[in-house]
Amino acid sequence: MKTTRREFLGSVAAGAALVAAPSIVRAQGADAIRIGALCPVTGVGGPYGSGMQKMIVAAAEAVNAAGGAGGRKIEIVAEDTQTNPQAAVLAAKKLIEVNKVQAILGTWSSGVSLAVIPLTNDAGIPLMHCSGAPALSVPPANAKGLGFRFQATNDRFGRAFAEICEKEGFKRPATMAFNNASGIGNTEGFTKAWKAKGGEVVESVVYEPNQASYRSELMKVLAANPDVIVTGSYIADTTIILREWFQTGQPVKWIIPGWAANPQLVEALGAEVTEGIISVDSVSNEGAEAFKAYDAAYQKAMGQAGTNNVYAAMTWDMMTVLALAIEAAGTSDMAAVVAKLREVGNPDGKQVSSFAEGKEALKAGKINYEGASSVLDFDQHGDVTPDFGAYFIEGGKLNRRYVVKI
Amino acid sequence: MFYAQLAVNGLVQGLVVGLGALALTLVFGIARFPNAATGDTMTFGAYTALTVHKASGSLALGSIAAVGGAAVLALVAYLTVFKRLAGRSVVSLLVASIGIGFMIRAGLGVAFGHQQQVFNVPLSRPIRIAGLAINPLDLQLATVAVVALAAVFAILYLTPIGRQMRAVADNRDLARVSGIRPERVMTAMWLIAGGVSAVGGMMLGIKTIVSPEVGWEMLLPIFAATILGGIGSPVGAVVAGLVLGVAQEVSTPFVGFTYKIALSFVVLLAVLLVRPRGLFGRIEGVR
Repeated sequence: MKTTRREFLGSVAAGAALVAAPSIVRAQGADAIRIGALCPVTGVGGPYGSGMQKMIVAAAEAVNAAGGAGGRKIEIVAEDTQTNPQAAVLAAKKLIEVNKVQAILGTWSSGVSLAVIPLTNDAGIPLMHCSGAPALSVPPANAKGLGFRFQATNDRFGRAFAEICEKEGFKRPATMAFNNASGIGNTEGFTKAWKAKGGEVVESVVYEPNQASYRSELMKVLAANPDVIVTGSYIADTTIILREWFQTGQPVKWIIPGWAANPQLVEALGAEVTEGIISVDSVSNEGAEAFKAYDAAYQKAMGQAGTNNVYAAMTWDMMTVLALAIEAAGTSDMAAVVAKLREVGNPDGKQVSSFAEGKEALKAGKINYEGASSVLDFDQHGDVTPDFGAYFIEGGKLNRRYVVKI
Repeated sequence: MFYAQLAVNGLVQGLVVGLGALALTLVFGIARFPNAATGDTMTFGAYTALTVHKASGSLALGSIAAVGGAAVLALVAYLTVFKRLAGRSVVSLLVASIGIGFMIRAGLGVAFGHQQQVFNVPLSRPIRIAGLAINPLDLQLATVAVVALAAVFAILYLTPIGRQMRAVADNRDLARVSGIRPERVMTAMWLIAGGVSAVGGMMLGIKTIVSPEVGWEMLLPIFAATILGGIGSPVGAVVAGLVLGVAQEVSTPFVGFTYKIALSFVVLLAVLLVRPRGLFGRIEGVR
């Protein structure tokens, strides 16, 4: 087929019209506030990402149904991080430069959030994320105070480990940490909290990633005869360590963060090796009114109970609390909105559990949003303190025995 | 006894590194460039073994398939890319091998996903030999590695094609004027290098986990062992792998676990200062 110049020009014009069309359509809603939903739809975060993204959309729908925030509708632009920092940076660039979003919500995994936050900082817009690395609390990552964390920090995970250790009556804990900010953050948080309780840590080991064997590391830890080993680890190294530990035959209990001790770990090692492991993960604010609203939305969107995805409850809260702050600020100027986030989330105001309720209450005075994921009180670093669940692996299943508050 | 136990712990890791280094050094000695796709060929071997093991339940069958599959993969890489680039600078070949590594890794990621997989092999308690705790599985893996090494060295030192390979490694031009056909030598060499990588990759996969990055992440220790052993020396590569593995583990009471990797590079530096050609390398004239 030969293409004449005229046909070519025609197709170029048609293409240009197609590209331009969305902006023509959007022009009708020119006053909408655009928000980026940047979630791990594929990659390691895949099991959570699509629910997280749908809950941002659902919360935005709830805001729009209540007449919008600050008199303007919310429009969500969704992107996928692929749980990969490079892909996340490209997507964030597109959201900021092409879509002109006013905030980015829903990044997951510390590597991704640490890669994206310089971009949101440069754009002067907030990043609300579900990552644990302590580095995200402080400069340089959070130099402008625009980063807000809806997940517990690794340090808080460590404190939860110490609570569980005490409750289970362990006397001689040892720690093993993957050599990065997150792994060491977990075990140092534990050691600090455990020593504050007057306990001692009998041995601690920091190990390198990508080793063919961790037997020497295990030898050292097990030689101290611990009754429990607390880890700051990931699934790959945990798999190797537990396999080699089981082969030594020395009985010991394990307390492992939820992202490493999950059904995938049980599948890799079998029920016998994983029996009795205590997996610790943050849990949603399940008694709260806001959780009921989130749970209903999650069931509608995903056909599952909201308890299956702690991160989706976090993204639901991200959208809701951001909309409340916009409402309180009366503008979508992010500097003003960010200044209001603590005011609408933290105590000393009327407790509210949805955007509509909060919008009404704001007319009368200050509010305190009690979220679906946690009570959602931001500290000076923009971090929140969720509750933690102690899950015991029994017969290959993770059963939650109790909830720990720190 | 404590140090002996640490040394035993280091041996298996050393064997994995040694096998990778052997594959690297063969290519280095004969095709004369550092093949950065060695790690990914190992990963390919691990995935092949895993797939066959899952389907058939036989580890032996898995290892045969892995050796065959990776050998063919290496040969295909040679025929399609490296052969065409023969005679170019080392840097072009190195960059091409990095590209092939990327392709293998990405292909495995697409085919199998990035989630970790494991070999479902029964877990066993260690047996005590002279006070040392030795895992039966490690013993089996070590046997497999030793058999693989024996086979490679038998080919290199007992067969005509092995003699030709060594001749090409020693002096390519002299080999050619003596009537050695480089094509045959190259084919044999790539098949062997691929097969050896597969054994290393499979051992690594059984010991640890299988994910698209496992082999790539082993590349640095493999390079270190190759250099320590003397570039182009098959015996040196294996010995250096074992030396580094054992040195790492035995050093841990003194330097801790986070610095053991750095320590293996200190060993490397120290040896090269005293013996710049490596443990078993020979001094080569400038060509």
